[in-house]
Amino acid sequence: MSADASDLSLVRRVQRGDKGAFDVLVLKYQHKLVKLVMRYVRNPAEAEDIAQEAFIKAYRALPQFRGESAFYTWLYRIAINTAKNAVVSRDRSPIEYNVDRGSTDNEESYDMQGRMKDSETPEGLVLTDEIRSTVNAAIDALPEDLRTAIVLRELEGLSYEEIAAAMACPVGTVRSRIFRAREAIDRRLREVFEGGLGRTEELG
Amino acid sequence: MNEELDSQLSAMFDNELPAAECELLARRLSRDADLKARWGRYAVIGAVIRAERGVALDGTMAGRVSAALSSEPALSIDTAPASRRSRASSWWQPLSGAGLAAGVAVVSILWLRSQALPGGSPVAAPVMVATRTATFGSPSAQGALQAASATTTPDSFVVPPIQQRPMMVVPATELADYVVAHSAFSWPVSRGNLLSSLMVSEPGTSSTPAESDQRAPRVQGNATQNPK
Repeated sequence: MSADASDLSLVRRVQRGDKGAFDVLVLKYQHKLVKLVMRYVRNPAEAEDIAQEAFIKAYRALPQFRGESAFYTWLYRIAINTAKNAVVSRDRSPIEYNVDRGSTDNEESYDMQGRMKDSETPEGLVLTDEIRSTVNAAIDALPEDLRTAIVLRELEGLSYEEIAAAMACPVGTVRSRIFRAREAIDRRLREVFEGGLGRTEELG
Repeated sequence: MNEELDSQLSAMFDNELPAAECELLARRLSRDADLKARWGRYAVIGAVIRAERGVALDGTMAGRVSAALSSEPALSIDTAPASRRSRASSWWQPLSGAGLAAGVAVVSILWLRSQALPGGSPVAAPVMVATRTATFGSPSAQGALQAASATTTPDSFVVPPIQQRPMMVVPATELADYVVAHSAFSWPVSRGNLLSSLMVSEPGTSSTPAESDQRAPRVQGNATQNPK
Protein backbone atom coordinates (compact mmCIF):
# COMPACT_ATOMS: atom_id res chain seq x y z
CA MET A 1 0.00 0.00 0.00
CA SER A 2 1.41 3.34 -1.01
CA ALA A 3 1.66 5.79 1.88
CA ASP A 4 0.54 8.57 -0.43
CA ALA A 5 -2.17 6.71 -2.33
CA SER A 6 -4.96 8.77 -0.83
CA ASP A 7 -3.46 12.12 -1.74
CA LEU A 8 -2.29 10.87 -5.10
CA SER A 9 -5.75 9.69 -6.09
CA LEU A 10 -7.11 13.14 -5.26
CA VAL A 11 -4.25 14.89 -7.07
CA ARG A 12 -4.89 12.84 -10.21
CA ARG A 13 -8.53 13.87 -10.10
CA VAL A 14 -7.57 17.54 -9.84
CA GLN A 15 -5.17 17.14 -12.75
CA ARG A 16 -8.02 15.73 -14.81
CA GLY A 17 -10.13 18.80 -14.09
CA ASP A 18 -11.96 17.89 -10.86
CA LYS A 19 -11.71 21.01 -8.73
CA GLY A 20 -13.76 19.40 -5.98
CA ALA A 21 -10.90 17.03 -5.31
CA PHE A 22 -8.65 20.00 -4.59
CA ASP A 23 -11.14 21.23 -1.98
CA VAL A 24 -10.68 17.88 -0.25
CA LEU A 25 -6.92 18.36 -0.18
CA VAL A 26 -7.31 21.89 1.19
CA LEU A 27 -9.62 20.66 3.92
CA LYS A 28 -7.10 18.03 4.92
CA TYR A 29 -4.00 20.19 4.98
CA GLN A 30 -5.20 23.70 5.80
CA HIS A 31 -4.48 23.51 9.52
CA LYS A 32 -1.09 21.88 9.08
CA LEU A 33 -0.10 24.44 6.48
CA VAL A 34 -1.11 27.39 8.67
CA LYS A 35 0.83 25.93 11.55
CA LEU A 36 3.86 25.51 9.31
CA VAL A 37 3.65 29.08 8.01
CA MET A 38 3.38 30.39 11.57
CA ARG A 39 7.03 29.46 12.02
CA TYR A 40 7.78 32.35 9.69
CA VAL A 41 5.10 34.92 10.51
CA ARG A 42 3.66 35.61 13.93
CA ASN A 43 0.23 36.79 12.96
CA PRO A 44 -2.29 33.93 12.48
CA ALA A 45 -4.32 35.97 10.04
CA GLU A 46 -1.22 36.65 7.97
CA ALA A 47 -0.29 32.99 8.18
CA GLU A 48 -3.72 32.10 6.83
CA ASP A 49 -3.26 34.50 3.94
CA ILE A 50 0.11 32.99 3.10
CA ALA A 51 -1.27 29.46 3.39
CA GLN A 52 -4.12 30.41 1.10
CA GLU A 53 -1.67 31.84 -1.40
CA ALA A 54 0.37 28.63 -1.17
CA PHE A 55 -2.70 26.53 -1.94
CA ILE A 56 -3.48 28.65 -4.99
CA LYS A 57 0.11 28.39 -6.18
CA ALA A 58 0.00 24.64 -5.64
CA TYR A 59 -3.18 24.35 -7.70
CA ARG A 60 -1.58 26.27 -10.55
CA ALA A 61 1.57 24.14 -10.32
CA LEU A 62 -0.25 20.81 -10.12
CA PRO A 63 0.20 20.07 -13.85
CA GLN A 64 3.92 19.86 -13.12
CA PHE A 65 3.45 17.54 -10.12
CA ARG A 66 4.53 14.04 -11.21
CA GLY A 67 4.10 12.24 -7.93
CA GLU A 68 7.83 11.66 -7.51
CA SER A 69 7.56 12.94 -3.96
CA ALA A 70 4.67 12.85 -1.52
CA PHE A 71 2.05 15.50 -2.20
CA TYR A 72 2.29 17.00 1.27
CA THR A 73 6.08 17.29 0.94
CA TRP A 74 5.61 19.15 -2.30
CA LEU A 75 2.88 21.31 -0.81
CA TYR A 76 4.95 22.14 2.27
CA ARG A 77 7.84 23.22 0.07
CA ILE A 78 5.57 25.64 -1.76
CA ALA A 79 4.24 26.97 1.53
CA ILE A 80 7.71 27.48 2.98
CA ASN A 81 8.88 29.33 -0.12
CA THR A 82 5.76 31.47 -0.10
CA ALA A 83 6.26 32.28 3.57
CA LYS A 84 9.93 33.16 3.08
CA ASN A 85 9.08 35.43 0.18
CA ALA A 86 6.39 37.11 2.28
CA VAL A 87 8.82 37.63 5.13
CA VAL A 88 11.43 39.13 2.81
CA SER A 89 8.95 41.39 1.09
CA ARG A 90 7.62 42.65 4.39
CA ASP A 91 11.09 42.89 5.89
CA ARG A 92 10.41 40.53 8.70
CA SER A 93 12.63 37.85 10.06
CA PRO A 94 11.56 34.42 11.28
CA ILE A 95 13.90 34.92 14.23
CA GLU A 96 11.69 37.69 15.50
CA TYR A 97 8.99 35.15 16.10
CA ASN A 98 11.16 33.11 18.45
CA VAL A 99 12.48 36.13 20.35
CA ASP A 100 9.03 37.53 21.00
CA ARG A 101 7.61 34.19 21.83
CA GLY A 102 10.33 33.48 24.36
CA SER A 103 9.49 29.94 25.33
CA THR A 104 7.46 27.24 23.70
CA ASP A 105 5.93 26.51 27.08
CA ASN A 106 4.00 29.73 26.95
CA GLU A 107 1.52 28.54 24.37
CA GLU A 108 -1.51 30.22 25.85
CA SER A 109 -0.01 33.69 26.12
CA TYR A 110 1.23 33.38 22.54
CA ASP A 111 -2.24 32.38 21.43
CA MET A 112 -3.71 35.46 23.08
CA GLN A 113 -1.04 37.68 21.58
CA GLY A 114 -1.87 36.29 18.18
CA ARG A 115 -5.53 36.86 18.75
CA MET A 116 -5.01 40.52 19.50
CA LYS A 117 -3.57 40.93 16.02
CA ASP A 118 -6.03 38.60 14.44
CA SER A 119 -8.32 40.11 11.88
CA GLU A 120 -10.83 37.29 12.11
CA THR A 121 -14.39 37.90 13.04
CA PRO A 122 -15.53 37.42 16.64
CA GLU A 123 -17.84 34.68 15.42
CA GLY A 124 -14.89 32.81 14.02
CA LEU A 125 -13.02 33.04 17.29
CA VAL A 126 -16.03 31.86 19.25
CA LEU A 127 -16.53 28.96 16.90
CA THR A 128 -12.88 27.94 17.14
CA ASP A 129 -13.10 27.97 20.94
CA GLU A 130 -16.29 25.98 20.88
CA ILE A 131 -14.87 23.43 18.48
CA ARG A 132 -11.79 23.00 20.60
CA SER A 133 -13.68 22.49 23.83
CA THR A 134 -16.16 20.13 22.19
CA VAL A 135 -13.47 17.94 20.70
CA ASN A 136 -11.49 17.83 23.92
CA ALA A 137 -14.59 16.87 25.87
CA ALA A 138 -15.43 14.16 23.36
CA ILE A 139 -11.90 12.75 23.54
CA ASP A 140 -12.07 12.66 27.32
CA ALA A 141 -15.31 10.69 27.08
CA LEU A 142 -13.83 8.04 24.78
CA PRO A 143 -13.06 4.53 26.02
CA GLU A 144 -9.37 4.11 26.76
CA ASP A 145 -8.55 1.93 23.73
CA LEU A 146 -10.26 4.32 21.30
CA ARG A 147 -8.60 7.38 22.86
CA THR A 148 -5.17 5.76 22.77
CA ALA A 149 -5.57 4.77 19.13
CA ILE A 150 -6.71 8.21 17.92
CA VAL A 151 -4.08 10.05 19.95
CA LEU A 152 -1.28 7.81 18.71
CA ARG A 153 -2.45 8.44 15.20
CA GLU A 154 -3.09 12.19 15.30
CA LEU A 155 -0.62 13.35 17.92
CA GLU A 156 2.27 10.96 17.36
CA GLY A 157 1.64 10.39 13.67
CA LEU A 158 2.07 6.61 13.93
CA SER A 159 0.93 4.34 11.13
CA TYR A 160 -1.77 1.73 11.73
CA GLU A 161 0.90 -0.95 11.79
CA GLU A 162 2.91 0.88 14.42
CA ILE A 163 -0.18 1.47 16.53
CA ALA A 164 -1.08 -2.21 16.21
CA ALA A 165 2.35 -3.14 17.52
CA ALA A 166 2.09 -0.62 20.35
CA MET A 167 -1.39 -1.77 21.38
CA ALA A 168 -0.76 -5.46 20.68
CA CYS A 169 -3.75 -5.88 18.41
CA PRO A 170 -4.38 -6.51 14.69
CA VAL A 171 -4.17 -3.66 12.19
CA GLY A 172 -7.86 -4.11 11.40
CA THR A 173 -8.69 -3.46 15.03
CA VAL A 174 -6.65 -0.27 14.96
CA ARG A 175 -8.49 0.91 11.88
CA SER A 176 -11.82 0.16 13.56
CA ARG A 177 -10.84 1.89 16.81
CA ILE A 178 -9.68 5.04 15.07
CA PHE A 179 -12.81 5.13 12.95
CA ARG A 180 -15.07 4.67 15.99
CA ALA A 181 -13.18 7.35 17.89
CA ARG A 182 -13.63 9.78 15.04
CA GLU A 183 -17.29 8.93 14.75
CA ALA A 184 -17.87 9.52 18.44
CA ILE A 185 -16.11 12.90 18.32
CA ASP A 186 -17.73 13.85 15.04
CA ARG A 187 -21.25 13.29 16.42
CA ARG A 188 -20.66 16.09 18.90
CA LEU A 189 -18.70 18.23 16.48
CA ARG A 190 -21.41 18.10 13.85
CA GLU A 191 -23.82 19.71 16.28
CA VAL A 192 -21.44 22.64 16.66
CA PHE A 193 -21.03 23.10 12.93
CA GLU A 194 -24.72 22.68 12.24
CA GLY A 195 -25.56 25.10 15.00
CA GLY A 196 -25.43 28.01 12.58
CA LEU A 197 -21.70 28.64 12.20
CA GLY A 198 -20.66 25.70 10.07
CA ARG A 199 -18.86 27.10 7.06
CA THR A 200 -17.67 23.99 5.39
CA GLU A 201 -21.03 23.95 3.67
CA GLU A 202 -19.65 26.69 1.47
CA LEU A 203 -17.56 24.03 -0.22
CA GLY A 204 -20.45 21.77 -1.02
CA MET B 1 -24.25 6.97 5.33
CA ASN B 2 -23.14 3.40 5.83
CA GLU B 3 -20.52 2.41 8.33
CA GLU B 4 -18.23 0.73 5.82
CA LEU B 5 -18.01 3.91 3.78
CA ASP B 6 -17.21 5.94 6.90
CA SER B 7 -14.56 3.43 7.88
CA GLN B 8 -13.02 3.71 4.44
CA LEU B 9 -13.11 7.49 4.70
CA SER B 10 -11.31 7.39 8.03
CA ALA B 11 -8.64 5.05 6.64
CA MET B 12 -8.24 7.17 3.53
CA PHE B 13 -7.78 10.25 5.67
CA ASP B 14 -4.85 8.47 7.35
CA ASN B 15 -3.39 7.32 4.01
CA GLU B 16 -4.08 3.74 5.08
CA LEU B 17 -6.55 2.76 2.39
CA PRO B 18 -5.45 0.60 -0.57
CA ALA B 19 -4.91 2.58 -3.75
CA ALA B 20 -7.72 0.88 -5.66
CA GLU B 21 -10.25 1.83 -2.97
CA CYS B 22 -8.81 5.35 -2.83
CA GLU B 23 -9.62 5.88 -6.49
CA LEU B 24 -13.26 5.03 -6.00
CA LEU B 25 -13.65 6.97 -2.78
CA ALA B 26 -11.83 10.04 -4.12
CA ARG B 27 -14.34 10.27 -6.91
CA ARG B 28 -17.26 10.17 -4.49
CA LEU B 29 -15.53 12.42 -1.98
CA SER B 30 -15.00 15.23 -4.46
CA ARG B 31 -18.72 15.29 -5.32
CA ASP B 32 -20.49 14.42 -2.08
CA ALA B 33 -20.91 17.52 0.11
CA ASP B 34 -21.77 15.54 3.25
CA LEU B 35 -18.77 13.29 2.84
CA LYS B 36 -16.56 16.30 2.21
CA ALA B 37 -17.88 18.04 5.34
CA ARG B 38 -17.16 14.93 7.38
CA TRP B 39 -13.65 14.81 5.92
CA GLY B 40 -13.17 18.45 6.96
CA ARG B 41 -14.28 17.64 10.51
CA TYR B 42 -11.79 14.77 10.66
CA ALA B 43 -9.10 17.36 9.89
CA VAL B 44 -10.44 19.62 12.64
CA ILE B 45 -10.31 16.75 15.15
CA GLY B 46 -6.67 16.17 14.29
CA ALA B 47 -5.84 19.87 14.63
CA VAL B 48 -7.42 20.01 18.09
CA ILE B 49 -5.61 16.86 19.27
CA ARG B 50 -2.32 18.34 18.07
CA ALA B 51 -3.22 21.54 19.93
CA GLU B 52 -2.43 23.72 16.94
CA ARG B 53 -2.68 27.08 18.64
CA GLY B 54 -3.51 30.11 16.56
CA VAL B 55 -5.01 28.00 13.81
CA ALA B 56 -8.59 28.86 13.00
CA LEU B 57 -10.82 25.81 12.94
CA ASP B 58 -13.93 27.29 11.40
CA GLY B 59 -13.07 26.24 7.86
CA THR B 60 -13.14 29.72 6.35
CA MET B 61 -9.79 29.36 4.65
CA ALA B 62 -10.91 26.32 2.67
CA GLY B 63 -13.90 28.34 1.51
CA ARG B 64 -11.69 31.27 0.51
CA VAL B 65 -9.33 29.03 -1.47
CA SER B 66 -12.28 27.43 -3.22
CA ALA B 67 -13.73 30.85 -4.06
CA ALA B 68 -10.37 32.11 -5.36
CA LEU B 69 -10.01 29.06 -7.58
CA SER B 70 -13.53 29.29 -8.93
CA SER B 71 -12.32 31.72 -11.57
CA GLU B 72 -9.38 29.51 -12.46
CA PRO B 73 -9.76 27.17 -15.41
CA ALA B 74 -10.01 23.51 -14.53
CA LEU B 75 -6.84 21.56 -15.19
CA SER B 76 -6.90 19.11 -18.05
CA ILE B 77 -3.81 17.03 -17.64
CA ASP B 78 -4.29 13.50 -18.91
CA THR B 79 -2.07 11.49 -16.63
CA ALA B 80 -2.24 8.32 -18.72
CA PRO B 81 -0.39 9.78 -21.72
CA ALA B 82 2.15 11.15 -19.29
CA SER B 83 2.92 7.66 -18.09
CA ARG B 84 3.00 6.43 -21.66
CA ARG B 85 5.38 9.25 -22.49
CA SER B 86 7.64 8.23 -19.68
CA ARG B 87 7.59 4.66 -20.96
CA ALA B 88 8.28 5.82 -24.50
CA SER B 89 11.12 8.02 -23.41
CA SER B 90 12.72 5.16 -21.55
CA TRP B 91 12.89 2.67 -24.46
CA TRP B 92 16.38 3.80 -25.35
CA GLN B 93 17.71 3.20 -21.87
CA PRO B 94 18.54 -0.52 -22.45
CA LEU B 95 20.16 0.41 -25.77
CA SER B 96 22.24 3.08 -24.16
CA GLY B 97 23.29 0.55 -21.54
CA ALA B 98 24.37 -1.88 -24.27
CA GLY B 99 26.20 0.92 -26.07
CA LEU B 100 28.00 1.84 -22.90
CA ALA B 101 28.97 -1.79 -22.33
CA ALA B 102 30.29 -2.05 -25.91
CA GLY B 103 32.27 1.15 -25.44
CA VAL B 104 33.82 -0.19 -22.26
CA ALA B 105 34.68 -3.44 -24.05
CA VAL B 106 36.40 -1.59 -26.92
CA VAL B 107 38.38 0.56 -24.51
CA SER B 108 39.37 -2.56 -22.57
CA ILE B 109 40.56 -4.31 -25.74
CA LEU B 110 42.59 -1.29 -26.76
CA TRP B 111 44.15 -1.10 -23.35
CA LEU B 112 44.97 -4.79 -23.27
CA ARG B 113 46.48 -4.62 -26.73
CA SER B 114 48.63 -1.68 -25.80
CA GLN B 115 49.79 -3.60 -22.72
CA ALA B 116 50.49 -6.84 -24.63
CA LEU B 117 52.46 -5.43 -27.58
CA PRO B 118 56.12 -4.59 -27.07
CA GLY B 119 56.47 -0.88 -26.94
CA GLY B 120 52.74 -0.60 -27.03
CA SER B 121 52.74 -0.17 -30.81
CA PRO B 122 49.61 -1.34 -32.56
CA VAL B 123 49.68 -3.57 -35.65
CA ALA B 124 47.79 -2.65 -38.76
CA ALA B 125 45.37 -5.12 -40.29
CA PRO B 126 46.47 -4.43 -43.88
CA VAL B 127 50.03 -5.17 -42.85
CA MET B 128 48.94 -8.48 -41.34
CA VAL B 129 47.15 -9.52 -44.49
CA ALA B 130 50.23 -8.78 -46.48
CA THR B 131 52.39 -10.65 -43.98
CA ARG B 132 50.32 -13.81 -44.14
CA THR B 133 50.30 -13.66 -47.89
CA ALA B 134 54.04 -13.33 -47.90
CA THR B 135 54.45 -16.26 -45.58
CA PHE B 136 52.42 -18.70 -47.63
CA GLY B 137 52.46 -16.98 -50.98
CA SER B 138 54.98 -15.83 -53.55
CA PRO B 139 58.24 -14.09 -52.62
CA SER B 140 57.11 -11.04 -54.52
CA ALA B 141 54.54 -10.47 -51.82
CA GLN B 142 57.33 -9.94 -49.33
CA GLY B 143 58.37 -6.90 -51.26
CA ALA B 144 54.86 -5.60 -51.05
CA LEU B 145 54.87 -6.33 -47.33
CA GLN B 146 58.08 -4.45 -46.77
CA ALA B 147 56.75 -1.52 -48.75
CA ALA B 148 53.51 -1.57 -46.83
CA SER B 149 55.35 -1.83 -43.51
CA ALA B 150 57.42 1.14 -44.38
CA THR B 151 54.62 3.39 -45.55
CA THR B 152 51.37 2.27 -43.95
CA THR B 153 50.26 3.78 -40.68
CA PRO B 154 48.82 1.14 -38.37
CA ASP B 155 45.07 1.53 -38.00
CA SER B 156 43.88 -1.75 -36.57
CA PHE B 157 44.73 -3.48 -33.32
CA VAL B 158 43.06 -6.84 -33.61
CA VAL B 159 45.55 -9.26 -35.22
CA PRO B 160 48.77 -10.03 -33.36
CA PRO B 161 52.12 -9.53 -35.13
CA ILE B 162 53.24 -12.34 -37.38
CA GLN B 163 56.57 -12.76 -35.59
CA GLN B 164 54.77 -14.11 -32.58
CA ARG B 165 52.80 -16.77 -34.44
CA PRO B 166 53.71 -20.28 -33.22
CA MET B 167 53.17 -21.58 -36.76
CA MET B 168 56.62 -20.34 -37.75
CA VAL B 169 58.27 -22.41 -35.04
CA VAL B 170 57.59 -25.71 -36.88
CA PRO B 171 60.20 -26.35 -39.58
CA ALA B 172 58.62 -26.67 -43.02
CA THR B 173 60.60 -29.76 -43.94
CA GLU B 174 59.46 -31.74 -40.91
CA LEU B 175 55.91 -30.66 -41.53
CA ALA B 176 56.19 -31.67 -45.17
CA ASP B 177 57.49 -35.10 -44.22
CA TYR B 178 54.63 -35.53 -41.83
CA VAL B 179 52.04 -34.52 -44.39
CA VAL B 180 53.55 -36.77 -47.06
CA ALA B 181 53.65 -39.71 -44.71
CA HIS B 182 49.96 -39.29 -43.91
CA SER B 183 48.81 -38.18 -47.34
CA ALA B 184 47.22 -41.47 -48.05
CA PHE B 185 44.74 -40.89 -45.21
CA SER B 186 43.94 -37.22 -45.81
CA TRP B 187 41.17 -35.68 -47.85
CA PRO B 188 42.57 -34.88 -51.31
CA VAL B 189 41.40 -31.25 -51.52
CA SER B 190 42.88 -30.18 -48.21
CA ARG B 191 45.96 -32.25 -48.88
CA GLY B 192 46.57 -30.45 -52.16
CA ASN B 193 46.17 -27.03 -50.56
CA LEU B 194 48.45 -27.87 -47.69
CA LEU B 195 51.15 -29.36 -49.89
CA SER B 196 51.11 -26.44 -52.28
CA SER B 197 51.52 -24.10 -49.32
CA LEU B 198 54.47 -26.12 -48.06
CA MET B 199 56.14 -26.12 -51.42
CA VAL B 200 56.26 -22.32 -51.58
CA SER B 201 57.26 -21.82 -47.94
CA GLU B 202 60.08 -19.43 -47.40
CA PRO B 203 63.54 -20.98 -47.84
CA GLY B 204 64.85 -19.87 -44.48
CA THR B 205 62.60 -22.30 -42.67
CA SER B 206 64.06 -25.37 -44.42
CA SER B 207 67.05 -27.23 -43.06
CA THR B 208 69.09 -26.45 -46.17
CA PRO B 209 68.26 -25.01 -49.57
CA ALA B 210 69.33 -28.29 -51.18
CA GLU B 211 66.97 -30.31 -49.02
CA SER B 212 64.19 -27.95 -49.81
CA ASP B 213 64.83 -28.27 -53.54
CA GLN B 214 64.99 -32.05 -53.35
CA ARG B 215 61.86 -32.52 -51.35
CA ALA B 216 59.68 -30.18 -53.25
CA PRO B 217 59.40 -32.26 -56.47
CA ARG B 218 58.79 -35.38 -54.38
CA VAL B 219 55.96 -33.75 -52.56
CA GLN B 220 54.50 -32.39 -55.72
CA GLY B 221 54.84 -35.83 -57.25
CA ASN B 222 52.91 -37.39 -54.40
CA ALA B 223 50.29 -34.75 -54.70
CA THR B 224 49.78 -35.36 -58.36
CA GLN B 225 49.63 -39.09 -57.82
CA ASN B 226 46.61 -38.64 -55.61
CA PRO B 227 44.34 -36.17 -57.34
CA LYS B 228 41.41 -37.05 -55.14
